[in-house]
Amino acid sequence: MIKEKNILKRIFISFCGPGKARMLRTSIFCILLSMLFGSLILLLLSKNPLVAYQSLLQGAGVLPKLNYPGKKSQLTGFLNLVDYTTPMIFAALSITIAFKCGLINISVAGTMIFSGILATVLVGYTDLNPVVARSLVVIIGLVSGGLLGGLIGWLKYKFNMNEIVVSIMINYIISYIVSFVINTKFADPISRQSVEIGQNARLNLMNVEMFGLKMNIPLLFPIAIFVVFLIDFLMKKTRFGFELKTVGSNRKASKYAGMNVGKTMIVTMMISGALAGLAGVSYYLGCYGSIQPRVQPSIGFDCIAVSLLGFITPIGCLFASFLVMIFQCGTSYLSSRLGVLREIPSLMTSILLLFSACAFYFQEKADACKIKLLKSRRPKNE
Amino acid sequence: MNSIIGDSVTFALPLFIIAIGGIYCEGSGIVNLASEGFLGMGAFFGGFAFALFAQFLGMSSVANAYLSLLFALCGGAIFSMIYALLSIKFKANQVVSGVVVNMLSTALSAFLASQLNLSIFGQASNKFLLAVFPRFTVKWLVNIPILGAFFDDTYVFVYIILFVAIIMTYVLYKTPFGMNLRACGDNPQAVATTGRDVNSIRFKAIVINGALAGFGGMCFAYSISTNFSSSIYAGYGYLAIAAYIFGNWRIKQTLYACLIFGFSRSIGYVLIQHLGLPSTYSDLVLTLPYIMTLVLLLFFSKSNISPKALGEPYEKSKR
Amino acid sequence: MEETFVEFKNITKTFPGIIANDNISLKIKKGEIFALLGENGAGKSTLMSILFGLYEPDEGEIYINGKEVSITSPLKANKLNIGMVHQHFKLISNQTVAENIILGQEPIKMKWGFLPQVDIEKANKEVEELSKRYNLEVNPTAIIKDLTVSVRQRVEILKMLYRNAELLIFDEPTSILAPQEITSLLEIIKGLRAKGKTIILISHKLDEIKKVADRCAILTKGKLIGEVLDVKTTSIKEMAGLMVGGEVSFVNKKEVIKQGKVVLEVDNLTVENKNHLKVVNNVSFKLHEGEILSIAGVAGNGQTEVADAILNLIPITMGIIKFKGEDISKLSIRERIEKGISYIPEDRQNVGLLMDFPLSDNLVLKNYYKEPYCNKKGILNYSEFKKNGEKLIKNYDIRTSRGNDTIVRSMSGGNQQKAIVAREISMEADLVIFVQPTRGLDIGAEKSIHDRIFDLRKKGKAILLISLELDEVMELADTILVLYNGKIQQNKSADQFTKNEVGEYMMGVHNND
Repeated sequence: MIKEKNILKRIFISFCGPGKARMLRTSIFCILLSMLFGSLILLLLSKNPLVAYQSLLQGAGVLPKLNYPGKKSQLTGFLNLVDYTTPMIFAALSITIAFKCGLINISVAGTMIFSGILATVLVGYTDLNPVVARSLVVIIGLVSGGLLGGLIGWLKYKFNMNEIVVSIMINYIISYIVSFVINTKFADPISRQSVEIGQNARLNLMNVEMFGLKMNIPLLFPIAIFVVFLIDFLMKKTRFGFELKTVGSNRKASKYAGMNVGKTMIVTMMISGALAGLAGVSYYLGCYGSIQPRVQPSIGFDCIAVSLLGFITPIGCLFASFLVMIFQCGTSYLSSRLGVLREIPSLMTSILLLFSACAFYFQEKADACKIKLLKSRRPKNE
Repeated sequence: MNSIIGDSVTFALPLFIIAIGGIYCEGSGIVNLASEGFLGMGAFFGGFAFALFAQFLGMSSVANAYLSLLFALCGGAIFSMIYALLSIKFKANQVVSGVVVNMLSTALSAFLASQLNLSIFGQASNKFLLAVFPRFTVKWLVNIPILGAFFDDTYVFVYIILFVAIIMTYVLYKTPFGMNLRACGDNPQAVATTGRDVNSIRFKAIVINGALAGFGGMCFAYSISTNFSSSIYAGYGYLAIAAYIFGNWRIKQTLYACLIFGFSRSIGYVLIQHLGLPSTYSDLVLTLPYIMTLVLLLFFSKSNISPKALGEPYEKSKR
Repeated sequence: MEETFVEFKNITKTFPGIIANDNISLKIKKGEIFALLGENGAGKSTLMSILFGLYEPDEGEIYINGKEVSITSPLKANKLNIGMVHQHFKLISNQTVAENIILGQEPIKMKWGFLPQVDIEKANKEVEELSKRYNLEVNPTAIIKDLTVSVRQRVEILKMLYRNAELLIFDEPTSILAPQEITSLLEIIKGLRAKGKTIILISHKLDEIKKVADRCAILTKGKLIGEVLDVKTTSIKEMAGLMVGGEVSFVNKKEVIKQGKVVLEVDNLTVENKNHLKVVNNVSFKLHEGEILSIAGVAGNGQTEVADAILNLIPITMGIIKFKGEDISKLSIRERIEKGISYIPEDRQNVGLLMDFPLSDNLVLKNYYKEPYCNKKGILNYSEFKKNGEKLIKNYDIRTSRGNDTIVRSMSGGNQQKAIVAREISMEADLVIFVQPTRGLDIGAEKSIHDRIFDLRKKGKAILLISLELDEVMELADTILVLYNGKIQQNKSADQFTKNEVGEYMMGVHNND
């Protein structure tokens, strides 16, 4: 019995204990733990977890399905995954950069809707040249998001307003106002959503035919990858990144060192907002072509999970985004193949989030376990 | 005019009881962002209990209505233990934990609602239908100008909330438990030195928070849509938080904040009717409480004094 | 023969990486004042925390009145009539004196027969009686956050007496008091002994121990050094020698330095706090090259605020600050640093350092944005960080586990302070401000910082020293300025002061208000 307990402890320590690539190992541990949990739930519902995870991966385009309708193929599915992952990457980066500065940006959802509606109304319904239209969409995303983020940062700095409550209030206010705007002016009577934007402004190339296959190509994905590395570079190698991290770690010491704390916080929130704005346009004018009123996109909150899972680093966000989106994209296929409710994947995402939040605790526990194990191994002298 | 008072109170008082839960939680030193999740899970448990017992007691049973409130209270309390585990035992970042708990609550209640409807009731629904909650009129007080409207056809849970609120105020300010709880929010090391268990006090504070929020959530379910569905998550938990921040973590001031929210909402609806605007304008009205919150926070955030030890996990070895 | 009240037998306690108490055996007699001496980190507080139930020993036993006890919590300690006045008060700032004293043992009355309620009237009365009996004046209904430090300390003592403590442990009780307050506290302690209480006094202040203690024991690096000493027959020099493990010369022979131009001129400086109270009230002084000016005062009389105002860490209400002839009152913090002002803060962990960052980052905290550490485009050059780090680690003897990459949190207090001093002095500023530079450091570390200060003085720098340690002030200062309630009480050359005189000014004895 003791040996069994020791083995479990050793496995735990090998994942969460001190050593190289600790955060990566801990994140993998959290993922495996939540997959285990998920498997238990599936078993309770008398479904085969292995088939479930396989369907998930097939639905997401990571594994090939048995057959494909029409001109679709695994590539279609995979590109679909990439398409949905793009806004998530931006959103997770938004959270990450704010976190590093000690700020919690919960206004991602609201910012997404805000930049989405602005881009839709200003460019989406026009006839502009595709290159011009799409560039404008991206610029609107950056600017509107940046301004909103800067506003929240300013309110926090100037008036000491709790940025979490402010963000949530802004989310709801924007959601309702945009809903009003859509329903009064831009509603599509059939879909109950905003009228679909023109192809020229869409950040996806829809229904492209290549190699005899049909697929949607997400245009912003390469930009997302570029931005990941850009943010990474910003944080590690630039003066601003240093100040950002310092302010996030210790405001008093930053002030003492002569840094302008307020400016750093506000600029950080602007960058965070700009990233959220990019998430918004790539979501509402990319993955989708319209906005659903009164609905706050779940990406706006799931991105917190993704950031935690990616151990709050830009590169981590990239991989974590893919992982979480595999869950979400594989849903409908999973549901239809196994007859399982559609709410399961979001449940699993929440459970993943739960475990990610405990990551530091797992590490502390692993430290303590290791010390105990070393002690018990040490021969008792003296 | 009368309906304004009635509607305001019907909205303000469940908000108030949720806020009191938050005051207990933050008063003991634990950041509270999870009110939203607690109210939702409470409403879920209550809704499920109602649907379950309706099979035996019938839909219009009065006893079932009260029973559902009790279950909501218990459900919120039990669910809040997850948050207690994260913030006390695991010492996780309390803000992140709160957001996590809210997300879990949304996902879990949606999943369970669909699953249970399917497995137990054989229905493809993600809602639980409720009956209208019993109302009560104090006939001889109704005729008092203005205030009388309060007593006209009021939901009984309003009275229950007032009663509970009085008890909770007494407990917080007059009893040893309340005194120790408030001390934990100021200097938990000091409380530990007297031999009391800080973590146990904080745990109780969180569970009280869950119970009260669950209760309030159920009242919202009855008063707003007469069902439990995912639309219960409308940000009222955050409104409650804003209310007690505005009220400087004191119960009486928080009541005023809640009443202001309630009135701004009702007046908005009346304005729409009066001006004859189409129903799409209701979206604009719904923003009023949130805008009010921002405005209030703008003016009052500088002077608010939160509990001194708020958000710091209690470490036994800290000196 | 007095009986043994408390006996420690072979007590050992370890924390990750340190042996705090190493096989300590001690006997404490009933009715005596027993002093526990030692430098910072010697293990005194740990040993007493074990006695008070905050920690449990890894090995060893404790005997009270001959019976072995296991003290698992402060509650258990209270039941054994042991009480502790902590260095960092454990008080609830938004509750009253009486509420704080009764916390954990609240008298309860039943309202209307069935509702439990704290009987606050009874509590107030009991507190008043207690305070009269032991001569510890307090107002039971005053709120803690409005009270001064010495009154708060009285509340801490009353807390123990309320619980019928027979053994009272005082942990560095005088570190935050002025000389006159210290005298009255020592009288209170003697009075407690007269009433039959047993007292354990943790301190590193040899002169105080000489005044009140009966016996003392010395701890160094967790171990008990030699035998328990009889205080009356042991000299201060002997005790100090045992503490440091060698003879310590007390008098630092200061050279006579010719002072140069005025470097800092402060005119009519006034600083108001949030409640519009003047914490610094119309303060003016001049500081020259090669001069050490020390602003003395009891904690909280405005000295730190003067230093903070000079750097612009806090805003000023009125007044002009001139540095090298230039008015800097409107300049930002960074601009003042660039003009040539260095600042070693009181709170080294929360202000002076980034605890979770590596040492090399901390050592460039004030000039990371300039060449060669950062180029014009805003890109940082980490190899320059490392070079600077290595240089400073070598020159200032900063002990680390991993050199440049050491995370500062893992460094000892003394080495953290060395890092801050290294960074600030290496900037070669013309004005160096030291606030409580040797707080919490042992004698060896204190001496090395004092040497650096003398070094700067020799090089013609201007030094502003804020210190609560009167001995340090007397030893270092060329000029002493005493503040009381934010106002200058006296400002003259150090050799015209006696230590007692400074203390009197600090307490406002000569206050002309």
